[in-house]
Order: sequence, then structure tokens, then C-alpha cells
Amino acid sequence: MANKDKIGKEFPPFAWEVEKGKIRELVQAIGDNNPIFLDREAAVAAGYKNIVAPATFITVPMMWTNTLTSTLDDADVKFVNILHGEEEYEYFAEIYPGDILTGQAKITDIQTKKGKSGAMDLIKMEVNYTNQEGKPVLKARTLIVEKI
Amino acid sequence: MYFDDVQAGDSMPVLVKEPITKLQLVKYAGASGDFNPLHTDDDVGRSVGLGGVIGHGMLTMGFVGQALTNWIPKKYLKKFKVRFAGMTKPGEVITITGKITAKDEENNLISGELSARDQNDQVKIQASFEAKLPRKN
Repeated sequence: MANKDKIGKEFPPFAWEVEKGKIRELVQAIGDNNPIFLDREAAVAAGYKNIVAPATFITVPMMWTNTLTSTLDDADVKFVNILHGEEEYEYFAEIYPGDILTGQAKITDIQTKKGKSGAMDLIKMEVNYTNQEGKPVLKARTLIVEKI
Repeated sequence: MYFDDVQAGDSMPVLVKEPITKLQLVKYAGASGDFNPLHTDDDVGRSVGLGGVIGHGMLTMGFVGQALTNWIPKKYLKKFKVRFAGMTKPGEVITITGKITAKDEENNLISGELSARDQNDQVKIQASFEAKLPRKN
């Protein structure tokens, strides 16, 4: 069961470098062949500085830095009992290969609800990302549902 | 795409994905870093009563993102929010539809809704978005 004492907890920021290859891997797994995610010339012609990260790319640093798992673990949430409830992104600037993203995670709310299939904890977390210029890049909000 | 040219009620071009495959879930796990065995180990999926592996919710969100940015250039996208409504399984064919629901003339913002459904019309994702479009002059 999630530990409500962790509401409001902010985690140490993490740094992560954006790589062209990870963008390619993600879009190939999704099956998205939009050339702006693969070809620099196509991206520049479309008005970007370089190959650009696709709309759901930010899940890559979230998962590869273990931010999701360590944040949930810190709040005593059992990974085997969770489902992803919601995901929300607010975009402030494009993300490009070579960018160094700094992410800071925070648990914003934990609530217990009773549903048709039993009780569950709703855990809300937020990660704010800035780039190497200190510019805000993206705000990600995640709702995790844990069966308790 | 210009703010002047779109209206509330305009539909997004429909995107019909190839059937989800187990190999795709392996590729998505590796790319995204989500190694939850629920997505790559049938035994684990069976042990929790799901019959086998299920797809990553974020993979389905990737499909919705693809449909959205095939229609509205990524650089205009301001917000994208999804609610995960149903699990996906290998073999399912996901179709993404959407439309513009409102225009904010003062701020050049459009907002809209999208959904991802399988071949039996079961909803996997309900989504909303907001984009800021340029004006012609």
C-alpha cells in the first residue's frame, strides 16, 4: 500500500543525454515512419533544428533512469500490482539528439479509492525536464493505479 | 497547417496500425526501458490471469502520438494527455481516430480528442490534445 507520508516528496534531479539511436529505436518499435524522427534533412526542411524527439519520447529517460521504479518503490508501491492510469505531457521546447535533459521527479498525490473490483491507491507523480540551456522542455504527469 | 484553415469538427486522418506482435513488445521494451515481464514473458502474463503478455500502455500512446503528429506538426503540439482504458494484446489491430473540438481565436489554440480502439471497437485509450497553430498572415 502506498505510503502517504511521501506526498510532496521531491527526488534528486537526474541528467540524461538524448541520443539519435534511441529516437530511432522508439519510433521503429512504434512503427512511426515520420521522416522528421529519422532523417536530419527532412527534419530541417520541416522547420526543426535537427532530428526531433517524438511525442512520447520522454518515457525513455523516465524508464532508463529507473525514475518510475525508484519513485514508486520509495512510496512502497508494489510494481507487480500496478497499472498505468494516465499520462500527460506539456511541451515547452523540442528535444534534440545531444540535448542533456535534467529531470526532477515529485510525488504530488496519493489517494485510496474503492472501486468495483476492490480498493486501489492512485499515485500521482510529476517530472519536470529542463535542457542544457536551463530551458524548461517538458512537464510529464503520471497516474499509477495500484491494486491493494 | 494554419489556424485559419481548421474548424471545430474537423476529423484527423484515421490511422490503422499493423497487428501488435510479441516481437514489437520486445522492441518497445528495449527502446523505452520498460522491462516489466508482463510485456515480454507469457508465463508472467498467465500467472496474473491475463493469458499471456499484454502490450505497454505507452506503446499504444505512441500509436496515438503517431496519428496526432502525422496530422498536426509536432512543433505546434502543446499538450497531450491520455487515459488508459483497456489493455492490448498481441494480434490486436489498433485504429486511432480524432477530431478538433474547439478553437480559441484569441490564443490561436485548437483542442481536440482522440481515441484508440481495437478491431472489436474496445477502447484502449481516450486522449485529448492542444496545439498552437500559426495564422496565415
